[in-house]
Order: sequence, then C-alpha cells, then structure tokens
Amino acid sequence: MKKISNNISIRSQIICLFLLISLCLIVPGCRKEEKLFDVNPVALLPPNSGKTKLKTNEQYIAILHANLFQTALSANQIFDIGQCMESIGDQELARELVISNFMNKPGTIIPSKAEMAADVNKFIVDSYNRFLVRNPTEAEKTYFENYLTARITPADTIMPELVYVSFALSNEYMYY
Amino acid sequence: MERRDFIKKTGLAAIGAFAAPYILPTGRLFASTGAAPLANHVILVMFAGGVRKQESIGQTYLQGSQMLYAPTQAQAELNVTGNIMRNMLEGAAPTSKIVYGKGAGGQTPIAPLLSQTLQQQGMLFTEMKSSSAGHYGGLNVLVQGNTFVSQGLKQRPVNPTIFEYLRRHGGPVDFPASKLWFVGNGIGNSLPLLNHSDHPQYGTKYGANFFAPTITFGPKGDSYLRDARIYHPQDQLAPIYEMKYFLDNSFENVGKTLPSIGNTEAEKDQIKHFMKTMFDKTTAGTIAFPPEHASAGNGDTATVGYACEVLKEFKPKLTVVNLSAVDTCHSAFTDYLKALHRADHAVGHLWNFVQNDPVMAGNTTIIAVPDCGRDATPNYIKDSQNDFFGYDHSDANALDVFCLMAGPGMPVNTTVNSANNPGFSSQWATADIVPTIADILGLKADVMGANMLAAGAGSLFDKI
Repeated sequence: MKKISNNISIRSQIICLFLLISLCLIVPGCRKEEKLFDVNPVALLPPNSGKTKLKTNEQYIAILHANLFQTALSANQIFDIGQCMESIGDQELARELVISNFMNKPGTIIPSKAEMAADVNKFIVDSYNRFLVRNPTEAEKTYFENYLTARITPADTIMPELVYVSFALSNEYMYY
Repeated sequence: MERRDFIKKTGLAAIGAFAAPYILPTGRLFASTGAAPLANHVILVMFAGGVRKQESIGQTYLQGSQMLYAPTQAQAELNVTGNIMRNMLEGAAPTSKIVYGKGAGGQTPIAPLLSQTLQQQGMLFTEMKSSSAGHYGGLNVLVQGNTFVSQGLKQRPVNPTIFEYLRRHGGPVDFPASKLWFVGNGIGNSLPLLNHSDHPQYGTKYGANFFAPTITFGPKGDSYLRDARIYHPQDQLAPIYEMKYFLDNSFENVGKTLPSIGNTEAEKDQIKHFMKTMFDKTTAGTIAFPPEHASAGNGDTATVGYACEVLKEFKPKLTVVNLSAVDTCHSAFTDYLKALHRADHAVGHLWNFVQNDPVMAGNTTIIAVPDCGRDATPNYIKDSQNDFFGYDHSDANALDVFCLMAGPGMPVNTTVNSANNPGFSSQWATADIVPTIADILGLKADVMGANMLAAGAGSLFDKI
C-alpha cells in the first residue's frame, strides 16, 4: 500500500515538473514580440572641439588681417610681422600688440556701437562667425547678451572694437 | 550640520592651520634652502659668436692669428701682440697695425670706459671649457647648465633654463616674469627659443621675457608694433580680458589652453608702456647706447643700449644679453677684431651704466663668457680689407673659452687657473654658469637639488 502511494507521489511530481517546464516554454512564446529600438552611441562635443591644430604666427597674422580688414596681406608683410612677434618673448603680449596696431590703422571693418546696440544678438552671432567660424552656444549667447546689454549705454566704453580684440586674443582663435 | 560635513570641514581647517605657517609671504611653499644672496641682480653677457682665446685673453692679436700664415714679406708687420679688450682685461694695447678701432681703416682704438678693468674688479677664469663648438649648443649650455644639447635648431632646450629655475624655486613675488629678461641681438639661430625650455615640470610658465631690440625696435617693429594702441587698463583692458577669459574658459572645456610666460596684466601694461617709450627714444636718439655707438657701433652695441634701458625700467634679477657680431670671423677677420673691440666697449658701458643706477649699483654681478671659441688654425677665406684669414669653430681650440666675473662679495683682481688652483682636478666649464648664478641669487641648493645639471657642474665659487 505504501509502495503504491509512493509511486503516485513520484508520478504527480513528474507531472508537475512537466507542466512547469511547459508553462515556462509556452508563456513567453505566447507573448507578442516587442520591437526594441536602440540608439547608436554618439559622443556629444562642444562645437569648438574640432579645433585641434595651433596656428603658426604667420597663419594667425594672415587670418587676423583678413578678419579685420577683409583684405589679404602680402607675403612680405606677413613675414615681417611674424618676425616682430618672434622678437617678443611673451606671445600673448605680442598678439595684443599686433591686434591693437591693426586697430589703429584705417580700413578696419568693424560695426559701430549703434549697430551693435541695435541688434546685440546679431552682433554676437556675427562675431562668433567671423572670428571663431561657428555659431555661439546658447550659454555663450546668453553671457555676451547680458554682458554687452549691461554695458551698452552711451557713457560706457564697451565698443565693438574691444569685443573684437577679445575674440582675436582668445585661445580658440589660435586654433583651427 | 551633518556628521560627514562636519568631519570634512574640520579636516580641511586642520590642514589649513598646519600648512599656513609654511606658505611664505613671497609665495614660496618652503623657505629657500640656499644661503643669503651675494647680489640682488645678475647680468650674464653671453659674449658670444665664437671668441678665440688667442685674441681675447691670449692677447696675441695678429701674431697669433695671421703672422704664421701670411706671405714672408708681410710677416714682420704682423708680428704684433696686444690687448684689444681694454675694458675687460688687463694688458697694453697693440702698438702697430691697428685695424680694430674706428675711423678709416679702424686705426683709432676706442678709448676704455672703465678706470679699472673688470679683471681688476673681479675674477678671470682662464681655463673655462665650453661643451660645444657650435653657437646654439654653446648658448644652450650657458642657459641650461646641462650639456645635453642634442636638440637641433628650432627646438627649445630640453632641460630647464636658469630663468625657469629662478622663477619656480624663487617664487612669484621675488621672481615675477618681468624680473627676468633675455635681450638677444636678433632672432636668428633659434635665439628666441632660449627664454624657456619644454621641460614638463618647468616650461613656458616659468620663462623669461625676451626682446630682440634690433627687430622689436628696428624698422620692422617701427612699422608693425609702434602704432599699437595702449588700451586703458580699467575702462578698456579689463572688459577685453573679461571677455577673453570667458572665451578661454569655454575653450578649456574641450581641453585646450595656451601656455604663457605669465606676465600679469600690470606687468604687460608696464612692458607696453616701456615699448612705447623705446620707440619714442629711438626716434629721438636718446637710447642709452654705448658712447661710440653712433660713430662706430654695430648690432652688439645697439643690443647693449636697449639692454641698459631694460635694466633702467625693470631692475631685473637676471638679465641675459647675447652678443654675436664676432661671428663674422668665418670670412672677415678684420671685422671680427672690430666686433671684439666693440663688444668690450659695450660691456664696459653696461657695467658703467649699472654703477650709475641707484638700485643696481653695488648690488649687481656681471658674468661674461663666450658660447664657444674658434679653431687653432685658419680657414682659407681672406677678408677684403687686410687679406687676413678667417677662422671657423670646429676643433678642440673652439672648446677653450674664458669667464670674467665682477660684483659684490667676490675676490678682486684674481686670476683662476690650474696653476694657482693645483688641488682642483677637473675643469671649469660653461655648464657651471647656471649654478653660479643660482649661488649669487641665493638659490644654489634648489637648483642643484633639481638634479638636472650636467654631471660635475657646480658654482664657480665652490670650485676655487
């Protein structure tokens, strides 16, 4: 009697196990297949991250002159200005001197203060395009908008020239 | 306050309390390990361009350079010796065949400026060894104190220069950028690269200011630098820098910064005003040139004139002046003698100028040492003036130079060589100049401790 009862118990266990395995196989199999959409990994970098090469003094001078005067310098002039820069140990100072020397010459193409005041946003975007060959980020636009708007009163000395000097002195301008 | 915050803040406060007493008013973290400075200012004249020992301290003039190689009939006339560096060295001038002076044929020597020669006022090392027979190598050793000069032209020194040692170990208060100047006589031969090395622990941010006055204030500078607008420091420069720093910060986010020698805005302003003054003085003819510059000067006398102006304005701790007009010796020996005579005149003027400066007088040491010497025997190039043979620099004789020092706290009228220093076994070398300058300025232990000098290099004061 005891042996029959054991056999029934083993059989029911086997049946339960079979049902469990079937369930595991059938239930997922009955599910409707869901589409899985994936995104390729993309490195999000700031717009200036592609500038990795340092300009030579000669490249810097040629580009600066083109940006300020929208005309080209002769090869001799570029060479001579390059030598002047080389003759000064502090290169940041040398760039300042070359820029301010250009600023003192007639023919620079710079918007007037009134033009800047009329549309600060356009002035900012134009400055970024002209010097850094890119559009400003929203953060950059906001910074300059706030900075210039706060100082644009007639009594203030912020002139477009000073903005241009700061762009031409910036480290980003030294790279391409 | 949370427990974690409390522990963090308490820890930081404790560290600050321990560290603060060690941050000195000079900006140094630790006190100098060196002794008190011998002088507050040092001028190193790289008496460069390749100076033959025979015509300088040897005083053999034409006898030692031309007589043996001249046609027999000319030899008697060339048998003349004498001292053509009468501001620096003791010794009588040649009595005949004067070709190095001023006027037609260089027949009139320039009168000495110093009543007492530098040799009388200080020490002359007659057996100095240069580690290189070339200019750039020789100059590199003079500023690096290391003989590892395998880098070619267009490459900065590999090891730190004396400028970097002083600025890094001396601290920003005692050694700001505007207190270290390198005045070059041009921009050829990669000279502008010697104001700092590429060493990762030193480098640009500890570099010196540099001018090549014949370019900076010459016709090119006049055309492209003179009209530079000097912006008002508060009204104009402040917003310029503010906007620039914003742009730089934005660019730094992608990991790019530009190294700078670190003149502060005030220092830059001072340099710009100084340059403006130099252009005006150049036009007005009031630069502190040596007296004979107008009538008999050359690039070296011009360079020294502007170096005097730098001394007057900035009172530098270290000024390095490079001269090199004597390099004409390759093909024009007469011009070499003239240049040597003028370099001596220029050094005499420089020393006179220092003695008349209220801050630097009695508190300045001058060191004059060539970058390299010249060959024992001439090449085959005769000059057009006297048919004198030229000399190159490539043999063992080109490694023999001298060193002349004068200033406070050193023996006077002293000649140092192996004859009067019998116990000293090794050579005095141009690599010793860097530790010597550091010794004078009280930073010898720091510079020696950096372990980047040539093996055996040390202060000349320790080697006598």
